[in-house]
Amino acid sequence: MASVTLEKVRKDYGAVRVLHAVDLEIADGEFVVLVGPSGCGKSTLLRMIAGLEEASGGEIRIGERLVNDVAPKDRDIAMVFQSYALYPHMDVSKNMGFSLLLKKAEKATIDSRVDGAAKRLGLDTFLQRLPRQLSGGQRQRVAMGRAIVRDPKVFLFDEPLSNLDAKLRVHMRAEIKALHQQLKTTSVYVTHDQIEAMTMADRIVVMHDGLIQQVGAPLDLYDRPANMFVAGFIGSPGMNFLPATVRKGATLEAVLADGQALRLPEGLPLTHGDAITVGLRPEHIKLADEGALKGEVGVVEPLGLSTQFYVKLASQQLCVFAMGRAGVKSGDVVRLAAEPDQLHLFDAKSGERIG
Amino acid sequence: MTYAVSEIRSVGKPRRKRLSHAAIEPWLYLSPAIILLVVVLLVPLVIGISYSFRKFSAFKSEYVGLGQYQAMLSDQVLGQALVNTLWWTVASLFFQFFLGLGLALLLDKPFRGRKAVQALVFLPWAVPSFLSGLTWAWLFNPIIGPLPHWLFALGLKAEPTNVLSDPSTAMWGPIVANIWFGIPFFAITLLAALKSIPSELHEAAAIDGASPWQRFTKVTLPFLAPTIAITVMLRTIWIATFADLIFVMTEGGPAGSTNTVPVYIYVSAFKSLDKGYASAVAVLLLVLLIAYAIALIGIRRTLVRHV
Repeated sequence: MASVTLEKVRKDYGAVRVLHAVDLEIADGEFVVLVGPSGCGKSTLLRMIAGLEEASGGEIRIGERLVNDVAPKDRDIAMVFQSYALYPHMDVSKNMGFSLLLKKAEKATIDSRVDGAAKRLGLDTFLQRLPRQLSGGQRQRVAMGRAIVRDPKVFLFDEPLSNLDAKLRVHMRAEIKALHQQLKTTSVYVTHDQIEAMTMADRIVVMHDGLIQQVGAPLDLYDRPANMFVAGFIGSPGMNFLPATVRKGATLEAVLADGQALRLPEGLPLTHGDAITVGLRPEHIKLADEGALKGEVGVVEPLGLSTQFYVKLASQQLCVFAMGRAGVKSGDVVRLAAEPDQLHLFDAKSGERIG
Repeated sequence: MTYAVSEIRSVGKPRRKRLSHAAIEPWLYLSPAIILLVVVLLVPLVIGISYSFRKFSAFKSEYVGLGQYQAMLSDQVLGQALVNTLWWTVASLFFQFFLGLGLALLLDKPFRGRKAVQALVFLPWAVPSFLSGLTWAWLFNPIIGPLPHWLFALGLKAEPTNVLSDPSTAMWGPIVANIWFGIPFFAITLLAALKSIPSELHEAAAIDGASPWQRFTKVTLPFLAPTIAITVMLRTIWIATFADLIFVMTEGGPAGSTNTVPVYIYVSAFKSLDKGYASAVAVLLLVLLIAYAIALIGIRRTLVRHV
């Protein structure tokens, strides 16, 4: 096991810079998830740690060792690919033992390591099957088994669950997490799915446009997003954003486009007339008779456990999340309230968090 | 519920009638295709084979049974032609395949102007074989072609003479032309197969610790194996039955040194006007090639199982 350190790591494709000076410290045994929309550079970063892409600048260290010029096979890493990349002409045991075979390990060693990994993953009855004779979930497990057999310092996962159906994805998510708790191997996991990131990560790295937006524990990102991108990306249903202007009277208020006003928390570096964006998580908006906001209910989506509905307000659709039955129907005019300390405030221009 | 036996019988009768209808019906739907296949493929084949049991002279033909086949047994020219065909096929195929594979591997690497080079590589395939035969014949001709002089300058030949006029080297002329002609086929088909290998497989192998050579033998080759088997089989059959180049360049000479079976068939049919004998030789070639194809398909099956 080992830590992974990235220092000012850059990647250019010709004149296009896809990664801008990324700094990241991944501790020994940590499970870190790189998350972001497609094209944010997360896969490129992972492939650079694997050695499949060359860094255009900066330093990549695994443990204490600088690995910029080390071949992938000598970095002591294992990677699980989105397509699994199983060798189609080799059976499960050969797929899993291939790396050891190339290292000229003893046959007995290979067999025992392959058997051990297969037992752990519940693949022991499939060892003689070819990949094409396996289901998607089984292939996924073989790909993980291939990584485990190597007993590497770092596991790299490149969207390993994207090709599975929704139900299996939830199952494998838990399995990968359980596996990490057993093996305690440093893991870097790339996904575009924020739910995977939230459920699996010790720490999440949110990336956008080749830049790290924020690094932190899942709930820290949820509770204190550093900017509007992170705020909008983490959480489902997503955060509502309302453009507003600060008004300083007896209390501090945010005046929305249609003149309605929301009370703001005290003690923030705000002055009268500041243009801000108010972020409201759907579950923090409550139906209340004396609520400060008034709007007409649009679409109502009952989910049984909870209800999600949209309220037209300040020429926007505000998403509201309520547990159980909300008791509203389309066309109702409702009043809504939100606690001042549950608001997220962002600078309207830069999108950075205020306070 | 229970039924009397007679009752079941009476139910069974009309059902059998319907069954026979049902048995015929699909053949009716298939009949256009079947008729087309029979008329276009089977009829000419059967007629061609039937010619091999006849002897043709100027205005009539007569049935001679296995006479033509008996004549083949003592035909030394045919024996030589079979050996020539083997030599011509194996040498052409060997160089076409390995040079084509090498070219495909080169073209699989990214470089500037790859698209243009790929298009150029395909060009020899588009040249009519008569034209390429003539061109190569001229290239080998010391009066107008540069090749004999280059070979002489390199010390490969004692004098700048035409390789095509020397029985011991004549076969190399058409073989070289055929290699030039056939490389694109292998390059393009193998390149397509190479492109179908997911890059992630190579990356996984690189992480697993495979050297470039191991990646080639353990990942690339198993992937290419089915394509290789089928293209080698097709090419073998095409080369073995390919007479144009040889006929244009040497007409089977000098002294029968480039006389392959297809050339011999052509000469027998259209020069000696012995159509019956030509048909018998053609049947022999057909049987040999079918046996070869069956053997290769068998080898491929065992290979694919054991990889």
